[in-house]
Amino acid sequence: MKAAGVKLALLSGLLALGCAAAVRSHAATPADTVSQRDVAAKLAYCEVCHGVEAQGFRGYYPIPRLAGQPIDYLKNQLQAFIERRRTNNIMFNVGHVLSPAMITALTDDFHKLNPKPLGGAPQDTVPAGKKIFGEGLPDVKVPACATCHGPDGKGNGPFPRLAGQLYDYVVAKLTNWDKERGQVPGKPDTSAIMQPIAHNLTQAQIKAVAAYVSTLE
Amino acid sequence: MKLPDTRCWKATSGCAALVLILIAAFAAASRAEHGSGGLPAKIAYCKDCHGPAAQGFLGYYPIPRLAGQQPEYLANQLRAFIEHRRTNNIMFNVAHSLSPAMVAGLAASFRALNPPPLGGGPRSRAEEGRRIFQDGVPEANIAACAACHGPQATGAGIIPRLAGQVYPYVIKELVNWGKERGQNPTIRDTSYIMSPVAHSLSRSQIEAVAAYVSGLR
Repeated sequence: MKAAGVKLALLSGLLALGCAAAVRSHAATPADTVSQRDVAAKLAYCEVCHGVEAQGFRGYYPIPRLAGQPIDYLKNQLQAFIERRRTNNIMFNVGHVLSPAMITALTDDFHKLNPKPLGGAPQDTVPAGKKIFGEGLPDVKVPACATCHGPDGKGNGPFPRLAGQLYDYVVAKLTNWDKERGQVPGKPDTSAIMQPIAHNLTQAQIKAVAAYVSTLE
Repeated sequence: MKLPDTRCWKATSGCAALVLILIAAFAAASRAEHGSGGLPAKIAYCKDCHGPAAQGFLGYYPIPRLAGQQPEYLANQLRAFIEHRRTNNIMFNVAHSLSPAMVAGLAASFRALNPPPLGGGPRSRAEEGRRIFQDGVPEANIAACAACHGPQATGAGIIPRLAGQVYPYVIKELVNWGKERGQNPTIRDTSYIMSPVAHSLSRSQIEAVAAYVSGLR
């Protein structure tokens, strides 16, 4: 009888502590937090496909470099996969289980990584690509890529880093822009900015720009 | 012939060079295997264990399907046996006597074969395996197999075809990944990519994925 009373007292004490902790954490920080261990495990999982230090990898598809990518861009793309604005079934599945705290931790880590470019692009079109990147093609209404992506291709905010991005990935994205991005008519997004540009570039120009940016460190 | 003279000459000399290279390769292959019947004899020897159409075979061990396999993967694995990156004494002995020309000839021959799967995997687990293969298990940090092995499991380059692979062989490889692959600490190879995946999959998930891929044509 006495033992049961002690147990009950202990239990109610613990409950009170638990409630207080819950209230405190809710007030001070977002309810959702993530352990270092879970972040490390998730990063290792991302790198299975995105390569060592997220430098990109050629699997069945060219899988993009995430290293050095602006945080806003990464967050926006994960959101785009979840909302099906950007169509990619694998990344939909990856994205929809990530908590906000996990997304913050992952995007911070990717942004900080700085491995060398993966390489593998043809070198002969690099000078032509450099010219398009820096000057655009005014005759066909293609602005200089550097205007938004920066003179060194490192991106900013919602504008992605292109420096060191995989050649074949950049070619695939620019070629298929309309079929992969901005796919929810009710939710227009920043992908609309690139739509006419991707449309106006010829395949040869796309390949030249892709070769150039893939070499940037 | 409307081609300008120089291009015509270049095309002709290019063809001539290719023919010479091919002749040299065949000559090297037949010289290396002189007295043992060359490529056809070597293929027959491989099929003793890997099955009459290289569709795999259940010997004392499950012996993998080589039919339709990516040539780059086959060449890399033969090299891995020789360099003790992949531990298998039988295959070490097989591989170390093969000339580079023979390896290229064998890899091309196996690539061209397309027999139906050997079969024998439990079909009841295939649907669960399909989901893991195509979507991964994001909550458990298991990447979608399709990202690297392709949606039809045909593989690409150094990434192996899994379609039609022998059910118990797939299980054995995934269960023993860390003990069979990447075993030479002085030579880093691509097997590290699969380590975290193989490690994260439960035995039951491994069986489901193996059941799925073993039934693919």
